Amino acid sequence: MRYLATLAFFTALVSITVSTPASAQDWKVDYRQSQISFVIKQMNVPVEGGFARYTVKAAFDAAKPEQGTFQVELDIASIDTGSEEGDGEAKRPAWFDTARYPKARFVSKTIKRNNAGSYTVNGDLTLKGRTRPLSVPVVMTPQRGGGWLVSGRALMKRSQFDIGGGEWADPSVVADDLEARFKILLNP
Amino acid sequence: MTQRYRWPTIGVHWLTVLLIIAAYVLATILEDMTLSPLKLKLYSWHKWVGITVLFLLPLRLLFRFLDPLDHRAGLTALEVKASAAVHGVIYLLLIAVPMFGWLHSSSAGFPVVWLGVLPLPDLVGKDKALADVFKELHEGSVNLLIALVVLHAAAALYHHHIRRDGVLARMVPWLGKKQ
Repeated sequence: MRYLATLAFFTALVSITVSTPASAQDWKVDYRQSQISFVIKQMNVPVEGGFARYTVKAAFDAAKPEQGTFQVELDIASIDTGSEEGDGEAKRPAWFDTARYPKARFVSKTIKRNNAGSYTVNGDLTLKGRTRPLSVPVVMTPQRGGGWLVSGRALMKRSQFDIGGGEWADPSVVADDLEARFKILLNP
Repeated sequence: MTQRYRWPTIGVHWLTVLLIIAAYVLATILEDMTLSPLKLKLYSWHKWVGITVLFLLPLRLLFRFLDPLDHRAGLTALEVKASAAVHGVIYLLLIAVPMFGWLHSSSAGFPVVWLGVLPLPDLVGKDKALADVFKELHEGSVNLLIALVVLHAAAALYHHHIRRDGVLARMVPWLGKKQ
């Protein structure tokens, strides 16, 4: 009898541990208030684009930020480059090659708190089949109702992922550097 | 000696002509191109040239204002009115055509960076429907400008070959010396 009670206790403990992983809360993303965009210079002209479809999985507890995780998956075919002809071109093999690589993924590995509300999220970005480390400065702004606005900008180079090769490689026409921008609203 | 405009007036007049031809040729070429690095370059060059025409206009007006030549000499009252009307509308179009282009660029979501160095402010926010309207206005106004420039050139040739009154030679002094 005592053996069974102990077993039940441990079973309950295990199930609690599994349903609330590492005490970091899972958040619901409000996609209508969220945005993932980028700015890249073309002939030194900053042009803004973005992605219409993506999913974000966020586990974050301000008391234990290092235990949180962020995962972002982009549907590359939903790209908006700022012009119709650009959208068509971006899907071709020289750019994102969406037929072979329809998704891009960012998976966080570590989250470090810098100071109040400011964090550095280090992780891996997989784009066009290439995985590279990416360090992302993130600002977490608490919202009324207990949610978070997760925002920030990350600098990267398109050449690291072979985005825009061949005739497009010339960085004086389309810059190698680009800035990814994001604003994700997390609700409890 | 034939009366002529001063060299700054003449220089900036013909520079504007060359720039307008260059902008028109660039636009005609890039219109039929599929997207490529060259097309992005031509787009930028077209915008740089057009904005240069706009920036030159105050200088042109200043030079013309300071130029002592009385362009009305030898003209009838009707001719003075007709030439004032055509010149007035050409000046307005020299503002309108690049402004519509700039507005088109802004509303299409592509800022203009003059010569790749000087970022110009966006005149309106990104709006596709508005961009289509400004594109039509840009094309329509440039066609009107070309029609008036042809009329302007025809009038100059009429003065030169039929009236033989030296009006064309004011702006083309090397013609005057031959006579």
